[in-house]
Amino acid sequence: MSGVSLFKKPVRRAHLLDAWRFAPSEYPRGLAFDRHGGLVALGAADGQLAVLDAVTGATRWETKLPDSVSTLAFSMSDDRLAVACFDGKTRLYRSDGELLATLPGAKGGWVEWVAWSKRGQLATAQGRVVRLWTSEGQPVLETPPHESTISGVGFSPDGSRLITSCYGAVRLFPLEANAESRTLSWKSSLLSLTPSPDGKVIAVATQDNSVHFWRLASGKDSEMSGYPAKPTALAWSPDSKLLCTGGGEVICGWRFVGKGPEGSEPLMLKGHEQGVTKLVFSPEGLLASGSLDGDVLMWDPAGDPKPIGIAPLGGEAAELAFSPDGGLLAGANGRELVVWKVTRV
Amino acid sequence: MADQTIPVTVLTGFLGSGKTTLLNRILTEQHGKRIAVIENEFGEIGIDQALVINADEEVFEMNNGCICCTVRGDLIRILGNLMKRRDKFDQVLVETTGMADPAPVAQTFFVDEEVQRHFRLDGIVTMVDAKHVALHLDDSDEAQQQVAFGDVLVLNKMDLVSPEEADALERRIRSMNAMAKLVRATNANVPIAEVLDVGGFDLKRAVEKKPTFLEPEYPFEWGAVFELPEGVSTLSLGEGADDTMQVVLVPVEGVAEPLKEGPERGVRLWTKGLSAVKPGGLVEPERSVNLDVSSGKPTTFQVRVPRAGRWMLLTEHGGEEYQVRLGTSAPVAEKVYGGHEHDETVTSVGIHLEGEVDGKKLNAWLSKLLQEKGVDIFRMKGILSVKGEDRRFVFQGVHMLFDGRPDRPWGSQPRSNNLVFIGRKLDRAELTEGFRRCLA
Repeated sequence: MSGVSLFKKPVRRAHLLDAWRFAPSEYPRGLAFDRHGGLVALGAADGQLAVLDAVTGATRWETKLPDSVSTLAFSMSDDRLAVACFDGKTRLYRSDGELLATLPGAKGGWVEWVAWSKRGQLATAQGRVVRLWTSEGQPVLETPPHESTISGVGFSPDGSRLITSCYGAVRLFPLEANAESRTLSWKSSLLSLTPSPDGKVIAVATQDNSVHFWRLASGKDSEMSGYPAKPTALAWSPDSKLLCTGGGEVICGWRFVGKGPEGSEPLMLKGHEQGVTKLVFSPEGLLASGSLDGDVLMWDPAGDPKPIGIAPLGGEAAELAFSPDGGLLAGANGRELVVWKVTRV
Repeated sequence: MADQTIPVTVLTGFLGSGKTTLLNRILTEQHGKRIAVIENEFGEIGIDQALVINADEEVFEMNNGCICCTVRGDLIRILGNLMKRRDKFDQVLVETTGMADPAPVAQTFFVDEEVQRHFRLDGIVTMVDAKHVALHLDDSDEAQQQVAFGDVLVLNKMDLVSPEEADALERRIRSMNAMAKLVRATNANVPIAEVLDVGGFDLKRAVEKKPTFLEPEYPFEWGAVFELPEGVSTLSLGEGADDTMQVVLVPVEGVAEPLKEGPERGVRLWTKGLSAVKPGGLVEPERSVNLDVSSGKPTTFQVRVPRAGRWMLLTEHGGEEYQVRLGTSAPVAEKVYGGHEHDETVTSVGIHLEGEVDGKKLNAWLSKLLQEKGVDIFRMKGILSVKGEDRRFVFQGVHMLFDGRPDRPWGSQPRSNNLVFIGRKLDRAELTEGFRRCLA
């Protein structure tokens, strides 16, 4: 399977055709497609939660949380939606809108991160603690308090390990008997925890305008520095061979092939006029980028280093997501959600 | 764009200094502003119209080559969340814990571009407990840092100290931080306008505020105006702790404000051609001299007065301490300058130099200075006259971070350089000389 991208026929253009729009009642916080690609969930800063038909934009169901949504995520193994809220609780809904559980947290702190594992387990991060739940909302475990506020949470691809980041360390907690616990240290404020899809590399952005990554097999780590701004937009290509990073106007792609990316020239994708805020890959390996300049650009990193598609978002990109089949792209600025149909020519 | 940023006020001060009282007043008073409060001590604040966010102070080190560069990670995270809303706040207040060093808060606004895009640090307000601060200043680095960093120093609980104690405290505080605005208060009853919208980190505002932040600092502690006849007058000094006493006599006849003008004349002569004078020796006017008072007993000197009229004598050490007398009558006016009675480790050094500086030399000097002394330099501000640049160059810094840019044109205004350093173990002579070498 390796090397597939080299023989793939390059995509010439990707057209983004306006499908529908939706205006949330406050600033969008959290955007996700469900596993079937039929639903789009959008949270907002006033607690609005809207679940919309991905094709038509019609509202399937809607509710109002007591405080701002911080983020949300659909499970990829069940019809479940987890919504993290500033009120310190995480709400677990069935995709049809039924509230299954309200997961308690410590009083007064925001729940800032949620993530689903392939096994259908849910991790929620609040302050310095991560809690793990079943897809029915039963508590599984709680990590010891980290030395600082959790800045990211995720899972290994097979769901056997919980991964957390905070100031100074990325941690891997075993979720089954034979898996080892690990601490990957780097003395810096670590942001945007992004494991590679094949589970071999863990990448983070740092407050020091750099990207840091660890190869789990060897434990070897590298620091890619020199970014003009915090490169908090990180995205792995589906084949785990390219890590795209954004902070400034230029998207910088690190190729994980051969001995690289150490000592190799990164792929430089130039097209945005202001800082890149969001990067997402489609399952076919097309990259979509959102920026402060208000445009969404499409790229084929395996082919041309020039943009292959553009669509105006009308404001700085706050959220960006592909549908599971890559056929739809959803982007939100501070006022509006825009969904495009992606057509390749 | 810059005007759309939300001002952030940092409220600091020791436990019991009145921070919470001030905060409650700001939140309850009718000022029409929507305020978000980021609180680090679990306080008793519960005000409906304000958003109160509790946070742990998380001080993170930066790997940007500055050994002392730390930021408040919790602040970056919380401000990052606060900007993701359309219903914006007019003002953010950050309350620090009593023992906090204000540097990481200030540095957060220099280091994080995302924070800079949406917020601006308006000022650091330090609450000072007038009754107990002396104790804190003597044995706490944090108390000194809080005073040194303040753009506004609220001397609170003034009802608990005598007017003399208040004056002495003000002098002491002023010697540590020459650029802050001092406000006296009881029960934190300072007008809200004095603490919000301060513009402490606003480079443009720094220019406007020049007269206050560059309050003159003199190398002498005492000055007195005497009515003297032509001829020779006797100068007598009582017992004192020092072996020498530097003095200078300047004419102030016909001068409208001799207590202001006299020192201005005196300071120019102070370091020029200093000569030593033995007991009983002759002191020339408009010459800086070092009187030998090593005997430890009362000593007299002769002073030549070339013409009758008002003259001002400026002395290195306190005039009262030495019971300084000149001529036969008491002084017409006298004044105490500076606050050297407490030899503070935290001080302000103000430098005023005429002329133009060489941009390259200045850059080299500042870079070296900040590399070597950045840990001890808490804050600096300046307005510079750079050769080849028509506009004022304004800059300010926190430890090793600094930010500078050209401002308004000089126009017909006389070009000069003013800068202030606040920090620990600052060497006034070395700083002044270093800057002098940057002159074009």
